[in-house]
Amino acid sequence: MFAVFRTLLIGQFRDAHTLFWTILLPFALLIGLGLYFDEPGYAERLLAGVVAVNILFGPGMVTPFQVMTLRNRGVFKLLRAASLPTSAFIAASALARTALSLVVGACLVAASAVGFGVKPTIPGLALMLFALLLGSVCFTAVGFITGNLARNESDTSMISNLVCLPMLFASEAFYSLEHAPQWVKIASLLHPFSHFVDLLSAAVHGSRQADTWTSAAALAGFTAVCLAVAAATFRWDQEGVRFRFLVKD
Amino acid sequence: MANQPVLIRAASLVKRYGRRTVVDGISLSVNAGEVLAVIGPNGAGKSTTLDLILRLRTPDEGTVEYAESHLRRRIGVQLQSTPLFPGFTALENMRLAAAFHRLRLRDAELLRRLAACGLADAAKTDAARLSGGQQKRLAIAMALVHDPKLLFLDEPTAALDPRARREVRELIGSLAEGGTSVVFTSHEMEEVHRLADRIVFIGAGRILAEGTPESLLDAYHAPDLEQLYLRLTAG
Repeated sequence: MFAVFRTLLIGQFRDAHTLFWTILLPFALLIGLGLYFDEPGYAERLLAGVVAVNILFGPGMVTPFQVMTLRNRGVFKLLRAASLPTSAFIAASALARTALSLVVGACLVAASAVGFGVKPTIPGLALMLFALLLGSVCFTAVGFITGNLARNESDTSMISNLVCLPMLFASEAFYSLEHAPQWVKIASLLHPFSHFVDLLSAAVHGSRQADTWTSAAALAGFTAVCLAVAAATFRWDQEGVRFRFLVKD
Repeated sequence: MANQPVLIRAASLVKRYGRRTVVDGISLSVNAGEVLAVIGPNGAGKSTTLDLILRLRTPDEGTVEYAESHLRRRIGVQLQSTPLFPGFTALENMRLAAAFHRLRLRDAELLRRLAACGLADAAKTDAARLSGGQQKRLAIAMALVHDPKLLFLDEPTAALDPRARREVRELIGSLAEGGTSVVFTSHEMEEVHRLADRIVFIGAGRILAEGTPESLLDAYHAPDLEQLYLRLTAG
C-alpha cells in the first residue's frame, strides 16, 4: 500500500487539474481577495475559507474525475483480480490527496501569516489539523459519490458542480450569512461544508468551545453518512449497478 | 493440447442484467499450456463470460471451478483500455502493477520485465506518450508482473498498425511457447488462426462453435475463419 501511496502522491504533481484546483487557485484566492478586501478581521475569515475551498475543490471536485477515469479504464476491475484489496488502493489514493491538502494548507497558513499577519495559536493549529483530516475524508467520500454516479466527464462535471457549488455559496467561507434569508441559513446547516468552514474559523480566530464541538460532531456525522453512501454506490466498472445494495452485481 | 490438465472449468453459466440474459448457459474450460481464443460479435457476451470465469462477477446460475485454490492469484489480466495510468511513466505503471499483487520488486527487476516486452527504452517515458503498440505491450508487461500461470488478454491488438500488431502477436506467441496459458479475445480472424490452439465462438450469450481452427474449418466447410465467423453470426 505504501508503494501505491508514494506513486500516487508524486503523480498528483503532474496532474493539471490537481495543480490548478488544489494549488494555484487557493493561493490566487488568498492573495486576490486578501488584497481587494483590506478590512479588519477579513484576513482570518479568508484563511479559513480558502483552506476549506482547497479541500472542497481537491478531494471534492478532482477526485470524481479520477474515480470515473480509473473505473472506465478498468483499474477497479483489475484490482478485483489482484491481491491488493480495492479498499487499500482507495485508502492510499485518499491519503495521497490528504497529504497534498495538508501541505497546501500549511503553505496557505504561512502565506497568510506573512502577507496578512494572521497567526493562529498552537491549539488553533492543532484544531485546524484535525479539521483538515476529517474534512479530507468527508469530501473525498463526496468525491467518490460523485464519481460513482457519473458515467463520463460531462456527468462528472455536472454532478460535482451541482453538489459542491451550492455548498460553497450556502456557507460562510467568504461572507457572512447573518443577513441572508432564513431558508439559506437553514440550508447552511444541512451540508458538511458549512460545518467544516465553522471548524476552521474556530481554529483561526477561536470561538466558544461548545460551538467548536457542535461543528466537529456535525462534520463527523456527515463524514460517516458520506462514507456509507460512497461504499453503497461504488461500482467496479461501467456496467455495474449504481446502488449495489439493491441489486446483485 | 487434448490431454493438458484443466485449469478452469465453467459449467452452465447464466448472467442476467434485468430482463436481458447476457450469458445463457455457457460451459467451457481453460486448459494448461493452451492458447484459447474467445471470439464473437460485440454484445455477444464474451466480456461478461470472461468476467464470470475470472470471478469478477457472480453468475446467476452455474459454477466456476479452479483446479488450484491459489490460481486466482496466478492470473494476469490485460484490459483494453491503455495506458492504465496515464501521467505515470512505464516504470511507475509497473510499480503500481507490482503493488497490486503485493510484490516488492526492485526497479532493476521491473526494468528487466519491461525489456522482456521490448520496452527497455521506454521505462522513463510517460505511458500516455508511448505508441499504441508500446502501450499494449506495457499492459501485457503489467499483467505479467507476478509471473502468472494464466493470462487473459482483451483484444490485445485492437487499433494497432500492422507492425505493432505483429510485435504483440510475437510476444503472445513467445509467452505461449514458454508455457503460459493464454486466453484472448479478438476480432482479427487471421490473428486468431495464427495464435489459437482452440477457439470458442460466442453469439447471443451462447457457444455457437468450439474446437481447433482446422477442425472448425473442416466441420463447417469454410475456407477461412472470417467466412466461418460470418456464417455463424449471420441473422
